[in-house]
Amino acid sequence: MNTAKQPLLELVGITKRFKQLTAVNGVNLVVNPGEKLVIIGPSGSGKSTLLRAVNFLEQIDDGIIRFEGREVGYLRKHGKLHLDRQQVICGLRAEIGMVFQHFHLFPHMTVLANVMEGPLTVQKKGQRAAQEIALEMLGKVGLLDKKEVYPATLSGGQKQRVAIARALAMKPKLMLFDEPTSALDPELVGEVFDTIHALADEGMTMVIVTHHMGFARELADRVIFMEAGSFVVEETPADFFSDQLGNERIRAFLNRLI
Amino acid sequence: MRISLSGIGRVVSTLLFLWVLTGFAAAGQTVDLDSLFRQAGDLQSEGNLQGAVETLVKVPPPAPGQDGEPFVRSRMQMARIQFSLKELDKAQATCRQVLALYPDNSEAKNFLASIEQERKSRLGAFIDDCLRFLPVLLKGALMTLLLVLCTMLISPLGGLFIALGRISHFRPLTAFCWLVIWLFRGTPLLLQLFFIYYGLPALGITFRPFTAAVIGLGLNYSAYLGEIIRGAIQSVDHGQMEAAKALGMTYRQAMRRIIIPQTYKRLMPPIGNEFIALIKDTALVSTIAMVELMRSADQMFNTYFNITALILAAIIYLVFTTVFTFIFEKIEYRAGIYEHR
Ligand SMILES: Nc1ncnc2c1ncn2[C@@H]1O[C@H](COP(=O)(O)OP(=O)(O)O)[C@@H](O)[C@H]1O
Ligand SMILES: [Mg+2]
Repeated sequence: MNTAKQPLLELVGITKRFKQLTAVNGVNLVVNPGEKLVIIGPSGSGKSTLLRAVNFLEQIDDGIIRFEGREVGYLRKHGKLHLDRQQVICGLRAEIGMVFQHFHLFPHMTVLANVMEGPLTVQKKGQRAAQEIALEMLGKVGLLDKKEVYPATLSGGQKQRVAIARALAMKPKLMLFDEPTSALDPELVGEVFDTIHALADEGMTMVIVTHHMGFARELADRVIFMEAGSFVVEETPADFFSDQLGNERIRAFLNRLI
Repeated sequence: MRISLSGIGRVVSTLLFLWVLTGFAAAGQTVDLDSLFRQAGDLQSEGNLQGAVETLVKVPPPAPGQDGEPFVRSRMQMARIQFSLKELDKAQATCRQVLALYPDNSEAKNFLASIEQERKSRLGAFIDDCLRFLPVLLKGALMTLLLVLCTMLISPLGGLFIALGRISHFRPLTAFCWLVIWLFRGTPLLLQLFFIYYGLPALGITFRPFTAAVIGLGLNYSAYLGEIIRGAIQSVDHGQMEAAKALGMTYRQAMRRIIIPQTYKRLMPPIGNEFIALIKDTALVSTIAMVELMRSADQMFNTYFNITALILAAIIYLVFTTVFTFIFEKIEYRAGIYEHR
């Protein structure tokens, strides 16, 4: 690890409560540029909530989010956190790409228009510049031939690849993937993983929530096991898959997946 | 024995009596054509035309070799009565009875021709009525159309404002929009129109009828469309807003670019319904001194006491509603084109 480099994202004591339930409980995390993190853990352990908090889709109750060394997103008043102005939040989100389990493509727009939408509306780029970027990204995910169709006509794997292209079109510094293949038929998982893999090879920084262990082993710099809102272990894949088989809870979790 | 004899005698005498009676009756039937005509004449002069017809129809067709004059006379008299009763079909049929027996009877032929003439002039009268009423009605229809178009322009915008206000997190705005919906959906449109046109002048606010009508219809329909639009917005998958935000869009951008466009298709059927209702609701503004289609038809009807004016107005309303229904179906199809695989 290059310690001279400033971390891209730093989470300190992130806590999110839903009424009584503490979904994320004082999580600390450092993500350096170019790193690939995989978060695994049982359903309901707070993985999605944590990713969403990084993108300000969930408002945290406590903690600090630092992006490129700056503390961002919240103002502290009387010891309570308040979300910063919309303009600031939108600016931060524009630098972080997010891919959802259920794609959430815009159904009323063609594939090309979906991918152009970020540059066009958020970055206020011109039609031609936006189209150029969109075509480049569609080429990257191998869907140039689908640019004129509406999402309803695509397979699940194709939809997710368009969603990745849509996020990439914003030229984000960090990509968040929340179970990108969980809604897909097994035979469609491969094409989405290949796309993410290619992205990793380009040096994109990413945090991926997945249940796919082979993928974690292959891609991750670090694997994090999360349970009940906290990180239980955080290790390299090699260590994780050898050592942690001694950890009864993780072993039980992994066994259930297989 | 005596009993049976007297019994036979009684049967015989009864039969005899019946024979005599029917004999008299039969004689009366053939003999009394004159009295039938007299009776019919009396009834006719009393004004009982139906009774006269019923009497005349008893004159039978002539037996072979008999004089047909009474039959022809009875049928022609009947035809005249029926004609005067405006029963043209029946009069025609009666004339044909005569012609069936005497194809060359000129009286029947001529009368048949004049019935035909009458028929034609009735149609002519209808066409005359139409030509007389249509210009006035079409002028009224134009005003109706203008009201409909104005309201169709205003109410979706007002409705969108109310819908966005209702789902906003700015409490005073939410409350205000709730109040507008509560007020305008909860009271009769007629009352609202009265209040705006007759009530507000008491507070020193005066409108011309057209302005008052557009304000009343516009507010009322904005309230209805507001609830419809709110429902449509909230029925869009939450993931859409999340994806838009994740891209970095503001709430306003997400609404304008992502959420609202997805409501168009599901908005069309209920909004189409509202606008069909609107076309007919414009009739209510005739109560605040607006001369539109309903008022025009009413004026024509009251002046000429002629139902044609109402029929024509109904036809014009039907043309409007049919055309608008057709247009809305087309728009709905276009709006949902991305859903077709
Ligand atoms: N909007 C919400 N309101 C209430 N509870 C929530 C909400 N979102 C998530 N939770 C709860 O927080 C916990 C963590 O959820 P989540 O982050 O989705 O878990 P995971 O993604 O690891 O399956 C769960 O118990 C879930 O029920
Ligand atoms: Mg989840």
